[in-house]
Amino acid sequence: MQSKTLKCKIAGIGAWGSYFESWQALQALLNGASLPETKLKGPKPDIIPANERRRAPLPVKLAVASSWQATQDAGVEADTLTCVFASGLGDTDLTDYMCKTLASEHKALSPTKFHNSVHNAPAGYWTISTGTMKAANSVAGYENLVSLTLLEAMIQCETENTPMLLTFYDAPVAQILTPVLPNQETFAFSLVVFPHSADVEGPLLTANVEQQEHTTWPALQSKSDYLRRLYAANPAAKILSLAELLEQPKRDIVVPLSSGTALTFSCEK
Amino acid sequence: MQIDIIDYESCSAAGVNLSALRTSLRQHQSGLIKNNLPGSDLDTWIGVVGQVSAVNDLGEWQSRNNRLAALGYEQGTIRSTVSGLINKYGAARIGLIMGSSTSSIDRTEEAYTKLNSENALTDEFRQPFVHNPHAPALFAAHLSGIKGPSLTINTACSSSAKVFATGSRWLETGIVDAVLVGGVDTLCLSVLHGFDSLQLLSPDPCKPFDQHRNGINLGEASGFAVLQRAGENDNAKGIRLTGYGESSDAYHMSHPHPDGLGARLSMTQALDRAGLPPSAIDYVNLHGTSSRANDLIEGKLISELFPGSVSCSSTKAWMGHTLGAAGITEAIIAMDTLQTNVIPGSKNLEILDEALNFSIKATDEPKVCQHVMTNSFGFGGNNCTLLFSRTG
Repeated sequence: MQSKTLKCKIAGIGAWGSYFESWQALQALLNGASLPETKLKGPKPDIIPANERRRAPLPVKLAVASSWQATQDAGVEADTLTCVFASGLGDTDLTDYMCKTLASEHKALSPTKFHNSVHNAPAGYWTISTGTMKAANSVAGYENLVSLTLLEAMIQCETENTPMLLTFYDAPVAQILTPVLPNQETFAFSLVVFPHSADVEGPLLTANVEQQEHTTWPALQSKSDYLRRLYAANPAAKILSLAELLEQPKRDIVVPLSSGTALTFSCEK
Repeated sequence: MQIDIIDYESCSAAGVNLSALRTSLRQHQSGLIKNNLPGSDLDTWIGVVGQVSAVNDLGEWQSRNNRLAALGYEQGTIRSTVSGLINKYGAARIGLIMGSSTSSIDRTEEAYTKLNSENALTDEFRQPFVHNPHAPALFAAHLSGIKGPSLTINTACSSSAKVFATGSRWLETGIVDAVLVGGVDTLCLSVLHGFDSLQLLSPDPCKPFDQHRNGINLGEASGFAVLQRAGENDNAKGIRLTGYGESSDAYHMSHPHPDGLGARLSMTQALDRAGLPPSAIDYVNLHGTSSRANDLIEGKLISELFPGSVSCSSTKAWMGHTLGAAGITEAIIAMDTLQTNVIPGSKNLEILDEALNFSIKATDEPKVCQHVMTNSFGFGGNNCTLLFSRTG
C-alpha cells in the first residue's frame, strides 16, 4: 500500500520560552526582533487549579501554558481535543531527585513527586485541568521527537477524523545529567490542528513520508543566536523549523523521521 | 481498519517466553517471589525475570531495561519474523512502537550510586541513548534493524496497550507495511519505592478482586507483537485487532475516577470500533492490579457494562503488575486464549469483594472464544482497551 499524503489545518498556536510568552512574541523573534532584556522565569498557567499548580513541576506548567494558548487562539473548547504531548528529555529534575534519594540511605520518595515523574504528567494535568476525557498520548523520540510527534498526530487526526492538540516541551536538564543531555533552554510550543476537510480557518499543512537516509535537521533561517541555540539544544524546539515554514510558506522543508525515512512538509496559507 | 497479528512473544516472571507462560498459566504456577532487589528492604513480592542476568554485553546500550528487551526479542520466532518482513518490504517500510514507563531509569539509578569524586557521571554511564525516555525504541531499532518510524509511548501503565492503537493507525495510512510493537519495563528502586510511597504495595502475593486484597506486587516484563493490515500475510496467527479505545479520566494523577468514567469510555469505544455488543465478548483480561481502588471501580464497571456470560480474570498474580509492559503482556494472554481455547482463572482469588458481582473465577475455563478484550489503566488517568477477534 502506498503512503498516504497527510494533511491537516492549523487552527491555533501557542508558545512559551525564556524570551517569549506567546506565539506572537516568538513570531517577532523569528522575524528579527531583538531579544527582550529580561529573561522570563516560568509560566503560571491559571487553568491549573491553584492547589495542583503549587505541586506542578516546570515541564507541566510549560506544556499546559502553551496548550491553553493554542486552544484560545483556535477558539475551541479544550475538552474536544485529542492530545499528544511530546518531550525529548522528560522531567530530569524529578529523575535527579529520585536517583539522588534512592542512592542515599533514606530511600523514601515523595508520593507527589513520584506520580509527577511519569512522562505523561503534563497530559494528566492538562486533562484534569480542562476536564478532557479524550485520548491523551505522551511520547518520546529523542532527536526525532518533533517529526515523530507530527507524524503520529497527523495520522490520528486523519484516521480518526478528530481535532488534535499537539504540545512539544522540554525544560533545562538537571546538572548531573548535562554530559549526556546538554539542554539548558526552556521551551514549549503547541498546535491545534483539524482534519483538512473541516470548516475552519488556518494554513493547510501537508506531510509526506519519504524513504531517505542521513537526513539532518535544516538550518534555521533566523540569524538569532538565541533561537539557533534553542533549536540546537532543546529537542522540542526542533518545531521551530515548522514555525518558520508557517511564517514563510513558499518552500518545502525536509526533516529526519527515522534512520531510513524523512518527512517533507509544505504549507499553504 | 482490521489488523492481523502475525507473531507475538512474552517474557516475564511467569515464563521467559510464550511457551513457558502457557505452562505456568495451566499449572497455576506463579513467578512472584519475596522482594530481594538489591538495595531495597521493602516487604513485598516481586516478579523478577532471572534469565536477564545471562544478557550482559550491550556496551553503550547497557541497562537492565534494554537487557530485558534483548532477552524478549530472542524468544520464539519474533526476530526471524521481523527479519523476513525487512527482507520482503525493506527496513524503512517497517515501523516500531515501544511502550514503557521506566525506559532505562534503572541505569540512571545505578549511575547515581557510582558518581565520581566531583559528583559527576563516570565514563561508563555517559550513555545519551540510554538516559532518555525514548531509550526503548532506540534500542529496539538497533536490535531489529528496523529503519522506519520508531516511537516510544510513555503513558505509564497503559503504554504498551496504546502501541497497538498507534500501530493500527500507522498501517491504515500506508506509511509502513508492518509494525513491530512492544513493551518493556524493569524492576528498579524508582518504581518499588515510588509505589511504596503511595502505600500501594502488598506484603503478600497479590489477590486481585479478593475481599482481602491489600495491594499490588510489581513485576518486570518485555513483550513484542508484529502487526500487518488484514489479509496481507498468509502466516498470520488467525487473530485480529478489531477494536481499541483510548480515554482520559480527567480526575486525578494517581487515583482512578471513582465511577470509572474514563475506563467506561475506553471499553465502549473499543466495542463501537469493532461493531460488537458487550454480549459478544467471551473474555475480558482485567487491569485488576489488586489495589483496593482499581479493582472495586473496574469490577463495578464490568458488571454495569457486560452480561454475566462474559468471563473475566486478572492474571497479575502470575507475574505482578509489569507497569508499562503490562498492556502487551496481558494483550498477549488475552489473544492467546484464541489459540489455547482456555481462559485463565483469576489466580489467588478466594472470596470475591463483597461489593462486587460479576463473572470471575479462580479456576480456568475451557472455551473456544471469538472475541476477547483487555484493559490497561495508568497514572494521569490514562486508559486503553484492546479487542481481539478470531479471524473468519
